[in-house]
Amino acid sequence: MSDTDPRADIPKGMRPDEQITTDPTKPQQRMRAGSLTMTLAPWIAAVVIMMALPIVFDNNSSLTIMNQMSITIVFALAYNMLLGQGGMLSFGHAVYAGVGGFFCMHLMNMSDFFAALPLPLLPFFGGLFGMGLALIIGSFSTRSAGTVFAMISLGVGELIAASSIIFVAFFGGEGGISGDRTYAQPFFGVEFLQQQEVYYLTAAWVIISAALMYAWSRTPVGRMANAVRDNPERAEFLGYSARWVRYYSFVASGFFAGVSGGLFAINYEILTEENLNAASSGIILLVTFLGGVGFFFGPIIGAVVFTLVQTVLSLQTELWAFYAGTLFLATVMFFPGGLAGLIMMHVPAFKLGKAQLLVMPYVRTLIPAAIGILGLCALVEMTFHYRHAATGDHEMTLFWTTFDSHTIMPWIIAAVIAAVGIGIARITAPDLKDAWNEANTAGGKK
Amino acid sequence: MSVPALELSGLKKSFGKAEIIRGIDLSIGKAERHAIIGPNGAGKSTLFNLITARFAPTAGTVKLHGENLAGLEPFQINRKGLSRSFQITNIFPRMSVFENVRCALLWAQGYKYSFWNIVSRQRALSEGADAILDEINLLARRDLPAGMLSYAEQRALEIGITIAGGANVIMLDEPTAGMSNTETDYIMDLIMRVTEGKTLIMVEHDMGVVFGLADRISVLVYGEILATGKPADVRADAKVQEAYLGAALEAEH
Repeated sequence: MSDTDPRADIPKGMRPDEQITTDPTKPQQRMRAGSLTMTLAPWIAAVVIMMALPIVFDNNSSLTIMNQMSITIVFALAYNMLLGQGGMLSFGHAVYAGVGGFFCMHLMNMSDFFAALPLPLLPFFGGLFGMGLALIIGSFSTRSAGTVFAMISLGVGELIAASSIIFVAFFGGEGGISGDRTYAQPFFGVEFLQQQEVYYLTAAWVIISAALMYAWSRTPVGRMANAVRDNPERAEFLGYSARWVRYYSFVASGFFAGVSGGLFAINYEILTEENLNAASSGIILLVTFLGGVGFFFGPIIGAVVFTLVQTVLSLQTELWAFYAGTLFLATVMFFPGGLAGLIMMHVPAFKLGKAQLLVMPYVRTLIPAAIGILGLCALVEMTFHYRHAATGDHEMTLFWTTFDSHTIMPWIIAAVIAAVGIGIARITAPDLKDAWNEANTAGGKK
Repeated sequence: MSVPALELSGLKKSFGKAEIIRGIDLSIGKAERHAIIGPNGAGKSTLFNLITARFAPTAGTVKLHGENLAGLEPFQINRKGLSRSFQITNIFPRMSVFENVRCALLWAQGYKYSFWNIVSRQRALSEGADAILDEINLLARRDLPAGMLSYAEQRALEIGITIAGGANVIMLDEPTAGMSNTETDYIMDLIMRVTEGKTLIMVEHDMGVVFGLADRISVLVYGEILATGKPADVRADAKVQEAYLGAALEAEH
């Protein structure tokens, strides 16, 4: 046994920060009290921000975006119960949200029942139906993880998406199923006519769901989900059936996916095949991975960023999906920990009190890099305009500048900006690397 | 005579036409430390995998405390009080050292698949896990991801996980494989301590470990047991000398 400092050989950015609070009763837990407040503070801040957002952004389109965000947060967190915590890669998780949502639409259309049901309870029913479907599908799909699970999830996803045009009575065919949320029993006088009221309903479910899913990850079955993810065989020799552990995670994930489907039903008052198909399943995988599967809060960040890209950026450019795809690709290749991993990488530097060393190097590298990337985007946009604009329409507006995309000058300018920006970033990157190493090494000059 | 802790009778295993285990009868008493030795490819690890239901036997039975284990899954066998380690380190690399041990305690402490307990609030769990960590000398590393421990520490952790659930039959597959002499001494000492009063069955290559630790030794050659007995008797056995031990002992020195 070596008796060197146990923390000396941890590679940078890989400290198990999420595990620092594993046991609050032990003195070995350095900065225990601090870590508890550190764990709670961001959550409280998030709740306060959620409550305050509609006051700042009170127009309907902002509220719609925020509602979309909230729904995606619940869905992505549910998805990560499988992917991040259970090691199950699903290509068809949209069906659990979708089926939950479809059932909620049907409940909305059962006028007698719905008239007696306060609307805020509807997502709970969505959860029950999502869970019901997960109970059935999971009974055979969770037998193994890995490729088999992924293939079954894909198959079941396609199967149910295809059913939507077969079982027209339930799925409504191509038109989908629509309803009216305002027929519900008023909830303390609130009839949910206003977007803002719907926002608070959705936000409440986000908070409840996130809290419950976080709590789940701390329970015996939630902990064993991690164990089964890491090493199913070992888990079996600890008395746990890997299959049952996966099944429980799957069913719980189905419940929360169903809740998100119910929230969708309330927000949009229509469910279509789009809620079930492979594209929706793919998007939630993308969102979750973008945010980071290794941390509980990763999918939340992913949902916020992706929804912004999807809504705000799509107003600016038709090519938003191209950028979203590039962002995803860059994440997979360079930051497999996702945005959350990127954030958590900086925790050691903060703990060492050396984070300020990183500020200037970041400015010197990231700003030129960002400008260079914008230059590249300009080239992409100009190519798109050149190829796809109506014949004779040579005028395009980009970054508040109007120019003729068929002349050579704008191309040169964009190319130069891209080359210079990325060139500077490449020159300054080694300094950033040095600063990074310095900031993550204990001792030395502060 | 009381019921043996583990009883193998007529155990056979074939992979296709290759007969790896060719009929093994072995009885291991309670609180006995039993070592299984033999040349490479003799089927030692296969035998372990048969006992723990990682593989299904082609013929024969395995009885734990007199109870036939046929048809049980590994997790069910574990619940009956048999725990094993692996030849290739088999831990949860992305979880902390502490969590590795805590997971090993969950079933034993009756938490099953519950989702209404928050594990960090369960004092008995945390204290139990820390006690094990103390025993295997890894308390200083409890919050590191297990995958970052040194090799010897990972082996120690593996033993910790194996014993944590309180199983009374412990099976260790080459616990000192690939270790330096000091590390071997450390692990040997650890095994002695943590298996006190328990039945220990281990596969081992290091003859020093085997003769220092075992009450009885079985020599496995080509899927059959050549000899079983006290270390001194096995060492003196002419057949064993010829088939295996002479060469192995020479290699040691």
